[in-house]
Formats: sequence, structure tokens, C-alpha cells
Amino acid sequence: MSHLLQRRTFLKTTLAATTAMALPMRAMAQDVLKMGVVLPSPAADVGWSHTLMAGIETVKAAYGDKLEVTVLENIAEGPDADRIANGLVAEGNKVLLLGSFGYQNGGIQIAKRNADVSIIHASGYLTEPNFSPFTAKYWQGTYLMGMAAASVTKSKKLGCVGAFAIPELITSINAFMLGARSVDPTIEMSVVWVNSWFDPAAEQDAAKAQISQGVDVIFSNAQDTPSVIAVAEEAGVYAFNLNSSMVKYAPTKYLGVVGTDWGPHFKRLVDGHVAGTFEGLNFWLGMEDDVVYTADWNAGIPADMVAQITAKQAEIKANSFVVFQGPLVDQSGAERYAAGVAMTVDEMLGMDWHVAGVTTPLPK
Amino acid sequence: MSALEFLLAGTLAAALPLLLAALGEMVVERTGVLNLGLEGMMALGAVIAFICVYHSGSHILGFAVAALVSAAFAMIFAGLVLGVRANEVAAGLAIGVLGLGLSALFGKTYESQTIKGLPDFGLPLLSNIPVIGPTLLTQDLVVWLTIIGTVVLWYVLNKTKLGLIITAVGENSVAARAIGYPVVAIRCAAVAFGGAMCGLAGAYAATVYTPLWADGMIAGRGWIALALVVFGTWQTGRVAFGAVLFGLLSIGQLSVQAMGVALPSQLLSSLPYLATILMLVVISRRRMSLG
Repeated sequence: MSHLLQRRTFLKTTLAATTAMALPMRAMAQDVLKMGVVLPSPAADVGWSHTLMAGIETVKAAYGDKLEVTVLENIAEGPDADRIANGLVAEGNKVLLLGSFGYQNGGIQIAKRNADVSIIHASGYLTEPNFSPFTAKYWQGTYLMGMAAASVTKSKKLGCVGAFAIPELITSINAFMLGARSVDPTIEMSVVWVNSWFDPAAEQDAAKAQISQGVDVIFSNAQDTPSVIAVAEEAGVYAFNLNSSMVKYAPTKYLGVVGTDWGPHFKRLVDGHVAGTFEGLNFWLGMEDDVVYTADWNAGIPADMVAQITAKQAEIKANSFVVFQGPLVDQSGAERYAAGVAMTVDEMLGMDWHVAGVTTPLPK
Repeated sequence: MSALEFLLAGTLAAALPLLLAALGEMVVERTGVLNLGLEGMMALGAVIAFICVYHSGSHILGFAVAALVSAAFAMIFAGLVLGVRANEVAAGLAIGVLGLGLSALFGKTYESQTIKGLPDFGLPLLSNIPVIGPTLLTQDLVVWLTIIGTVVLWYVLNKTKLGLIITAVGENSVAARAIGYPVVAIRCAAVAFGGAMCGLAGAYAATVYTPLWADGMIAGRGWIALALVVFGTWQTGRVAFGAVLFGLLSIGQLSVQAMGVALPSQLLSSLPYLATILMLVVISRRRMSLG
């Protein structure tokens, strides 16, 4: 981890210098809401930080020059992030967007100390009256991707490159599998955990390893760069990812994207802060909230499957179809949920088992 | 393609960034200097090469400029350590930090951009051998050149006068100076060579192995290369063997996972590091038994 440490130190120095220069000017601004944004990775053309910034743009567009946004990107999780977030509060930012799970504990402390500051936090489970986490129901979209994958796979083997084996990623994978098996119950899937949020070379190798074993549709689960998508295009297998479209990296083999649009949610929360009605709720948002969406579907998906997917998407949105509802069978073949029994929110948030069809055992 | 073919085809490519950086550092350490800034020098080489290839499409230009820039960058380290006698550990770490920072700065507008890698080609005749022909014996040009370069480096270090001079400077710099060798100049040249090799390693990582730029993409490989020098006990052949072994472990564990073998992936991911620690233990035990 020492390389991160170094990068962080370098950034901090440059950051301190720019902040010091900018301070006198900021003090003059009146009646302008100041918002600070802390991002875990560089805000590139694609990826998680890009998605958050797109949401911020919606808020900016609504508020115009009544809102001043300071963005600090590529901030490693941990004590430095806490210090930087504290610095933003000291500079008079009244709304903070903290863009990563690891900012949670520091963010909670800031929320407790500064009742007049509202904090919007990506993922996590803690809340305060002025601290509100948000997460996307990616599994609503990955279920549909599973249906699409089942219609294009020839080898009947799907693959997934995952960052870490945590419930949020596991539910996405399981829903993908359920979607695929709803079309063809013989389909299987392998999962390779890279055990890193960020290592493009290992991600590409993980994709190649699966392709070499016959996988012809790959789920790039929580990669911030087009590493997996680009390799899939090169190898001629389908691939999809979450958050923002990477179709330009795989013009022919891009299966689609399970996108997230945080704009409306961010705007509602900032509106709430201004109106004094900000609530510290844990938001788990999906298609019904217009946060999760699908786009850029591959032209190779058969028309009747597109119709089925569209219909299923409408059902998910209307909550007339529930993805994690029995009968649910795990990898060992044991029935976890009987027909008609749905998983509760807490059970989904803590999901630590794979559904039948996933061939890779879950690391314990 | 099977899992075996994947391993045969991919191991050398996975080993290459480690091998190039480790060979450079090995020469540096053989002259009695320790440069810990590999990660930063690789990152700088990576972003420079990526920018060159992105705009010109020429990998040769990318590799050449990356080697030059990283060598020049390593001269900052040389100036600090050999010129004004700064602490080499602190200076090396500082260079590493600076390199990572500069790579992030230069790469800002290229974040998540992709380019075309290099085509693989097989050795004439040999690539017709079943199984290993189309896999192990079909690699990109850089792999072939690095294999040749490794042999040349082994020859220079072990069979030539220059190799003896390097050893002399590293093992007894006072004696080397007494018989008239310019110790500082030789160390300086070694540091520049080490920098250039890191530049090439970074260039390979960002333009061939994973042809995209993302800040932080070296992801600790500079540190593995540093460990590799110790793992290989400063011997060209052993460093090369170690690099191939690390390459094999790093992609092998992914392949094993994909097969559905019930081994904890966290343990598999840490295998290269465990292997280094094990090697360090073996080395120090041997030293203790000799002493």
C-alpha cells in the first residue's frame, strides 16, 4: 500500500497549496451554497467517480451560480480523506458528497460535530440525522443482463471479474445468474476475484483466464477502467459493466450497461438541505427511483429477447417481479428460500452465498 | 484455448514488467546503490510511453522516450545520493512519490483512454510445435527482445571486464577508486540504466500488456520488482526465473479461481509476496549457517 501513501502525500501537498491560494476569494462569496465533493478515483470519462460527477452536474445545472462546488478527486480512503473532508467543512462547505465506502467513519464524525452540514455518502450502513448513505440496486439491472447473456452465449459459460467478495457485488452476480437461468437453466458461471479495487492488468488477466476456459460473456463487476471491456472486445466475447457506459471501448461486443443516474437523488437531497428538511435515511435506490437504468443494448440480442427484457424491466420497476424471491437454490443445491418467499433487505445487504449455477466457490 | 494454453501464452507477458524493472535495479544494487523509487519510475515511464503511443501510434517511439525520460528522472536520485550524499532510502522513496505524482499529473487528460497493443508473432518453424508453438513461442516483439537482452546482460555482468568493474565498485568502492575507476560516474551510469529499464517496464505495462492509461495502474509492481532482486539474490538468471515464477503465480491464481477450485482467492492473490518472504528466510538461514 505504500505506493498509495506516496501518491496521497503528493496530492496533499499540491492540494494544500491550491487551497491556500483560493481561500481569500472564497470568503467574499455571499448567499452561495458551498458543496464539497470527495472522490476515490480520478474523475475520468467513465467509471464510478465519473458517475458521481454526472450527478453533481445535474445539481449544478439546477442551482446555477447559487452553488459553488469544490471537487477533490483521487483521495485514498482513511485518515487523509477524513482530514480533507474536515478541511472542506472548515472552508464553509455545507453539503458534502463523500464518494466511497471507506469515507464512512470519518464522515459520521464530521456529521456529529457539525449539525449544520449535510453529508451524502456513497454506500455504507451508518446514518445520522444529517448523514445519508446511498446505494444502487444493481441487481435489478444485472438480472436483465443475465437474460441478454443467455440469449447470446454459445458456450453456456458466463464469467465475472469481481473486485472483492462483498455482498453488494455478490447480489449483482447472483441476479445475473438468476436472469441467465430464467432463460436457460443449463448455463453456468465462473467468478474470479481480483482482490483489488484497482489493478487493470490483473483485471485483464482475470478476463483472459476465463475466456481461455470457454467463457463468452463477461460481467465487469466494479472495475473503474475499461480494462475488462477492452479485452473482451479484442477476444470477441460479450461484456458489460455497471455505472457508466463503456460502449466506445467495445463497439461490437458491448452487451449493455447497468447505469446509475444520481442526479435526481442528489438534487432532492440538496433541495432538502436548503429547505431544512434533509433526512438521514439510508437510500437503496433502483429502477423505481429512476436511478438504475439499462442502456446501449447490443444489436445482436434477438428481438424476442429484447421484448422479454423490456417487459421484465417494466415488471421490476412496478415491483410486480422480485428478483430475489424463492425458489432460490444455492451452489450446493440446497433450497435457501421456498417458492414465494422473498429475501428481506437486510438479507440482501448481507448476502454471502452464491445461487446455483455459479461454479466458483465463494472465498470465506 | 485451454487453461494450460492461457498460462503458457500469458506468463511471459505478466513477468515482463517485473523482469525489466528488476534487472535494472539489480545492476544499480550491484554497484552498491539502492534505489527504492522503482514504482514511481515505472509509473512515469508508463504515462510517457502511453502519451507517445496515443499520439504517434509508434511503440518504438514510446519505449525510447519512456526510457530516456525515466533515465533522466533517475538522475535526480543520482544527484541527491551520489552528488550531495543524501540518504539513499529517503531519496529513493522521494523519487518514487514524485514519479507517481508526476504520472498522475501528466496522465490527467488520458485517464481511461485505450490504445492498440502489439501483435504477437511466433518464432519461425518453432511456432509450428503443437501446444507450446502457438502459445509459449508466440509472443510480442518486446518479450523476444527482453529475453535476448537478459542473456546479453548476464554475459556482460559475468563474462566481461565491465561486469568485473561493476562488481568491484559495488563490493569494494575504496579499492575500485584506488585502482583508478571513476566510482561515482559508474554508479551514476548504473542508476541511469536502472531508470531506463524501469521506463521500459512501465512502457510495456501501459502500452502492450494493458494498453490503457489509468492512474495507479502499476499497482505495486515496482515493489514486487524490488523484492524480486532480493529473491534472485542479485543473479541475472535467478531474477529472470523469479520474474517468470511471479508472472506464473499472478495469472495462475486467476486461472485456478476461474476453474472453480476451492482455494481462498485472497491467499492465492498473496502468493507472490509469500514466495518472496519465503525466499528471504531461505537466504538468511543459508547466510547464518555459513557464518
